[in-house]
Amino acid sequence: MAPRNHKNWLKTPKVEYISSECYNNYSIFEQEIEHIFSKVWVPMCHISEMSNDGDFRSTQIANKNVVAVNRGGDVHVFLCPSIDRPAGNGLSTDGLHELHSEVKHGGMVWTTLDLNPSLSVEEWTCGAFDCIADAIDTEEMEVFHYHKAVIDTNYKLWHDTNSEFYHDFMHYFNRVSGFNDEYFARKNIPFDNGHVNVSSFTVNYEEYEGFEDRGELSFPNLPPNQWYMVDLFPGYNFNLRGNAYRSDIVTPLGPNRVLIEFRGYGLKKDTAEERATRVKAHNSIWGPFGRNLHEDLIGVAGQGTTMREGTETRNILHGRHENSTIHDEVGMRHYYEAWGKFLGVNPMNPLALLEDNVQAAE
Amino acid sequence: MAWTKVCEKSEIPEGSIKKVWARIGGGIPIAVAHHKNGYVAIPPVCPHLEEPLEDSGMVTGCKLTCTKHLWSWDLETLELKDEAELPLKTYDIKVDGDNLMVYVTEQLEYTFDEDEDIDEETFFDGDDDYDDIW
Repeated sequence: MAPRNHKNWLKTPKVEYISSECYNNYSIFEQEIEHIFSKVWVPMCHISEMSNDGDFRSTQIANKNVVAVNRGGDVHVFLCPSIDRPAGNGLSTDGLHELHSEVKHGGMVWTTLDLNPSLSVEEWTCGAFDCIADAIDTEEMEVFHYHKAVIDTNYKLWHDTNSEFYHDFMHYFNRVSGFNDEYFARKNIPFDNGHVNVSSFTVNYEEYEGFEDRGELSFPNLPPNQWYMVDLFPGYNFNLRGNAYRSDIVTPLGPNRVLIEFRGYGLKKDTAEERATRVKAHNSIWGPFGRNLHEDLIGVAGQGTTMREGTETRNILHGRHENSTIHDEVGMRHYYEAWGKFLGVNPMNPLALLEDNVQAAE
Repeated sequence: MAWTKVCEKSEIPEGSIKKVWARIGGGIPIAVAHHKNGYVAIPPVCPHLEEPLEDSGMVTGCKLTCTKHLWSWDLETLELKDEAELPLKTYDIKVDGDNLMVYVTEQLEYTFDEDEDIDEETFFDGDDDYDDIW
């Protein structure tokens, strides 16, 4: 499709769309913090990052400091007003308010600011992890890579890029190693609460110069060279590529700024040689200097520029229907349907109802 | 033709772009951008797809970016940046006291290829009837 000119931008689409205001309005951002990030289960870190008694790992959720602590092998999560370190050992939790927490789905530490959550993690994710459960829950995993990026873009644009596949043409690696009938036939599978799976296909890694087949070290019960993705509402991505596993956790910092934490995982039982192979496989695509990750970050930073606060409002099309295959925007529509319900707004015109909602709440 | 006042300096703070008119004939539309090191006067639309730069232009430092498709230019050197494929046309501009003066001999315009219009029938002119989707 040719790019839109100004006349096109201003027309009302006759297919599904959302307003760019969803990405750049400060009131919407505040509502997201209050009604989404303060309510949902958040995968704040991995159990292997706090494996010894007394180890702790901290983060921020909805502008609140949160710390997960290993107490004799059990994980407890607390609100922690004064913490200033990402990790360590020996933190006193006396007097801190404990939050609900669970260790679930491959050893992720989940917590929620909701003091009375109506759903367990299992109920919240409602089947979205089933496709990779045998691979990530059979053996203990551990984090071998962590880095973070602060990007001038809206957090949803990062989740979008992990959920939609127009951008796959941006990746040279994907074009040479993946584009075949099987690639385009993959399905987007929606689950309740806004979650989406991307079903698997066989990646031909050896088609890219310098890369090798990944079949030999596949995760447990994963057929050779398969690639699954779990896109969890509102901004958590779990990505299993043959012999390496990655998670992205977003922390929105403003309408046009997001912190993304990237983790790479291997199996705890890996030999040194196996671990080196996984690390190489992970970093070659997903490391800060890998083949794909920086291309995605450049892409969403550009989107952030196009939609930053003050830019002309335009409509973002979500109208491709292709039997739920990989370029069908069913996943995007599903996500924004859930998003709209959380905020009580219509993503096509989110500001229309937002003011009413805020006034009603006050 | 000669130098003509288009506006006062105070109307265009640094880091902004504004559409003004040169009072010549029926009026000539001009966009004036105030970048870190001065002012640039250009036609008021992006040479890519005719986006009004007053709405879609973003000035940061010395750079002008059309936020629709990320065509950008260095306003000091007029070098093409990011996705830009065509140069900006420029008018001479100077500061005269509190005023901005532009030298206009003719209206500068870009040529746009109408054949590149997208498939409007398929995607646009809807009737806002999608409330049930969300």
